[in-house]
Amino acid sequence: MREAMRTLLVNSLLALALAAVPLAAHHSFGAEYDANKPVTLTGVVTSIEWTNPHSHFYLDVKDDKGNVANWKFEGYPPSVLSRTGWKRDATMKVGDTVTVFGWRARDGTNWAHSREVTFKDGKKLFFGPPAGTGDGGPIPAVDAK
Amino acid sequence: MKSLILFLALTASAATKDATPRAADGHPDLSGVWQGGSTRKGSWEEANTGLGVGGTGTDPNAPANVSPSSPQPGREPAPYQDWAAKKVIESYNKRGVDDPAAYCLPPGLPRMNVLGLFPIQIVQTPKQIIMLYEYMNVFRIIPIGTKHPDDMVPTYLGDSVAHWEGNTLVVDIVGFNDKTWLMSAGTFHSTALHMTERYTRVSKDQIDYEATMEDPKVLTKPWAVKSTMMLREGTRVQEYVCAENNLDPGRYENLLKNGVNFQR
Repeated sequence: MREAMRTLLVNSLLALALAAVPLAAHHSFGAEYDANKPVTLTGVVTSIEWTNPHSHFYLDVKDDKGNVANWKFEGYPPSVLSRTGWKRDATMKVGDTVTVFGWRARDGTNWAHSREVTFKDGKKLFFGPPAGTGDGGPIPAVDAK
Repeated sequence: MKSLILFLALTASAATKDATPRAADGHPDLSGVWQGGSTRKGSWEEANTGLGVGGTGTDPNAPANVSPSSPQPGREPAPYQDWAAKKVIESYNKRGVDDPAAYCLPPGLPRMNVLGLFPIQIVQTPKQIIMLYEYMNVFRIIPIGTKHPDDMVPTYLGDSVAHWEGNTLVVDIVGFNDKTWLMSAGTFHSTALHMTERYTRVSKDQIDYEATMEDPKVLTKPWAVKSTMMLREGTRVQEYVCAENNLDPGRYENLLKNGVNFQR
């Protein structure tokens, strides 16, 4: 219980700390990804690309029948990852098992926008921004007439 | 008496610590690495700490935080002429597939100064201000006390010249092309755009930033936006070569070809 309270307190503080953080990304979330299609997958990392304008990693994900599919996840560019706690070749390596939360691509392929990566030890880091980032906000700049 | 002296000394040191740094010529010194669109003091990590930049830090499914470049309900509409407002909405509905940034082109001003994901370095000398943007790795060289050249070729970020008005650096920009966005999705402009930026370093940690956009071909009246830039000591502007692996234009082409529904 005390641990739960502590976690709650820490989380609340984090929420406060981040409440004013503005965002931008190379391109619009909504152009390529569907916020109505969240996805959480666990798999083995097969490759990681630290590239601009977006980094990617690939995950072998096994379904109930034992079939393996390779998924591609998109996220922040290297400069942003390194500013937010990621270390290349250390934080996440090929062969690691991780769980990823994100949103699927509109084209229906095994491609998703990654948000949160959970590592085996329970540590969590964001690999990409929230849904809706960079796609214009909830309303346009002008009124529809 | 001793305690009074100590009190005065402490007060003075606190004031000095937060005071606006001054250049040798007496003007406020804008030099430093800054995060646009933020109001939070501290290092990059302190101001953006937790689980990464963005969201609430606790719920990965939480929506994006309010970006100064994204209009929110209750906002005053940007003063576009009717025909131009239609064009802005058409673009907004396409979810940014026509964003110059998606093609690795300069995103535009003042947008680049209010986005928070990438730092901006300002280097001030007596005769010019240099602005180095990590986003798209573009720069501005802004001479102080000179006029715009007579023969300007339109450019993405235009031609900037500056002068001091008291403690405020006023930057006048003309000579824009019409290929960038001013703020959020679809906020286009013409080559007639004239922008005035005001940078006031109100304390060690904060620059108050204002931009006023005038474009008689597109807007009905001047459009002013305000934001703050916060000092991020210890942060370095890094390389961002956008064209390295830009897969988005190809994907947009496919989505559009297949008649995608850009539902929100």
